[in-house]
Amino acid sequence: MDRVSTGVAGVDAMLHGGLIPRRPYVVSGPTGSGKTIFAMHFLATGLAKGEPCLMVTLDEPPNEVKANVAAFGWNLDRLKILDATPDIKAHKRQRSVIDVGTTLEVRDMEDVGEIRQSSQIRALEVSVHGVQKMLKQEFFQRLERTKERYTRIVVDSLTALKMFSMQGEDSRIMIQSFLRFLSELEATCVIVSERLHPGVLETEFFLARGEIRLHKWLEGNVIRRAASIEKFRGSSFDDRIRPMKISDVGITVDKEGSVTFLGKRSTQVGEQFLEQRVVEEVSAVIDRVYRSLEEAHKLRVNVADVENVLSRAMLHLHRRNYQKALKAALHAQNLAAQRMDEYRKGHGLPPPPPPPPPPPPMGGKP
Amino acid sequence: MIDGKVRTGVRGLDKMLHGGLVPHRPYIVSGPPGSGKTVLSMQFLLEGVEGGERCLFVALEEPPNEIKINVRSFRWNSDDIEMLDANSDIRRFEPTPVIEISTESEPARMRELDDRIRKTPDFESHEVTVHSLQQLLKNLFIKRRYDRVVIDSMTALRYFCMREFEETITTQSFMRFLAESKVTSLLTVELPEEGEVPPEAFLARGEVRLHKLRDETGIKRFVSVEKYKGSSHDEFVYPFEIGASGIVVHSGENGPAPDASETPPA
Repeated sequence: MDRVSTGVAGVDAMLHGGLIPRRPYVVSGPTGSGKTIFAMHFLATGLAKGEPCLMVTLDEPPNEVKANVAAFGWNLDRLKILDATPDIKAHKRQRSVIDVGTTLEVRDMEDVGEIRQSSQIRALEVSVHGVQKMLKQEFFQRLERTKERYTRIVVDSLTALKMFSMQGEDSRIMIQSFLRFLSELEATCVIVSERLHPGVLETEFFLARGEIRLHKWLEGNVIRRAASIEKFRGSSFDDRIRPMKISDVGITVDKEGSVTFLGKRSTQVGEQFLEQRVVEEVSAVIDRVYRSLEEAHKLRVNVADVENVLSRAMLHLHRRNYQKALKAALHAQNLAAQRMDEYRKGHGLPPPPPPPPPPPPMGGKP
Repeated sequence: MIDGKVRTGVRGLDKMLHGGLVPHRPYIVSGPPGSGKTVLSMQFLLEGVEGGERCLFVALEEPPNEIKINVRSFRWNSDDIEMLDANSDIRRFEPTPVIEISTESEPARMRELDDRIRKTPDFESHEVTVHSLQQLLKNLFIKRRYDRVVIDSMTALRYFCMREFEETITTQSFMRFLAESKVTSLLTVELPEEGEVPPEAFLARGEVRLHKLRDETGIKRFVSVEKYKGSSHDEFVYPFEIGASGIVVHSGENGPAPDASETPPA
């Protein structure tokens, strides 16, 4: 299967070759984690290969985007850019609100100069509909003019589009429709989105065919960065978090490096729920082993090996190594049962009564 | 089949379910994005087609052409699975006719699927509502008997197809419809990474939950049976992997993983 390079070699390696073409993907992460830079890598690589690329900017005006990536030395002159940053809201009663789709034009990056001035009489408002119409127009004009299709599209950011332009609309359906629209253009799309609330299931994250997540956290007073693939439909991928740097060549990801979280974990890897349950489960098993150990001590059965395994289980649990902890705990449980059986056989005792049904290890159902 | 139960197509999971699923009931497969819900439900249908059953996949999240490409890497023989494209078109903003998904739509077999995405027609837009989908399925079920049905996903159905409906009641009624149609169905539900479990989970007869836990060594995947009415089941959380042939659950005899017999120190 052919793949599309993201422009970051390390991420391509994590994706086992790159993105699957003609599908929408999400790049997520907290503010300042490098999402826009990542998206620009994706576009710059496309341009270098002579592919037509389009960027829809909603967060920053194009002149700022241009200035921000100037340091990386990429040639973005041929990048088409659609400025969909909303105008200053006029607080007087508006005579006419003009939709972005009807007035704005797609420009080449090289023609981008100063910030666009809000019109004095008509404020420009951005709506999903408008952006969509604009994109469609540009897409088909390009196809007619040059017989070329846009192969790479970046939307920076969907968070802004949601916040500014979906008031009063059902945002889930709007996003579904927008992603459907992008899919039907058959371009590979990178959608920048901030994950605002980990507890809320946001539409773009489950509809996108993949998610590249950028992490940023503080260790002491040093900012550390990392990248991970959270989801990638139709392909295997490297599921580890890999260290990432932003330098004068842009983003680099060490595809072999590993990340250790020494400081406060701010990576939002959403695991509290499962963690709590696994902890409950392991603790339940450990409790049961303890009870049988007490019994064994009373009968003076030698259970030194059981204690040994159990202490390892607790060590693993302490180190948050749940899988090993669970394994060791279960092993201790089996071993304890075995020792007791041996003891009973050795003393000609009847086999133990059937054990009472184990308490539900989940600690209560939701 | 054991005790007349329906196999899920994942052996380790069947073991956790003490043989499989009680037939003719709806079940939930839940998990965060990227946890393997679609893969699991494809394996469920694959198990059915291999046994000569009639199987239907209702796609609400992804275009069918992409699903077809995605499962290629597993080298399954999924040709006979029938696929119903229930993705809504791009919404219209102009007052053009909005057509509810036609109750005459027919599913297509996987082998017949186009490699490219279906395009929204210029002058009309098909919109899928829970009502129209239910009507469509009802007609299909009258025409022929389906043994296994997958709805991927209920979350998409709730998010995008219930604009004018009360969500919980509508979801319940949709599940009731599936139960009355006497099909064994898997409904996928997206879970947020943290926080509350969506209401679908309470309404089904059983829930298989997929967990995704990330640590320094990568993503660990676990599966648990959260509830299962009408049958005993395993209470443990077991690790699983998505390998070259699909999902493999390690619910071995000795513990949660195949190498659970860790040798104790002398």
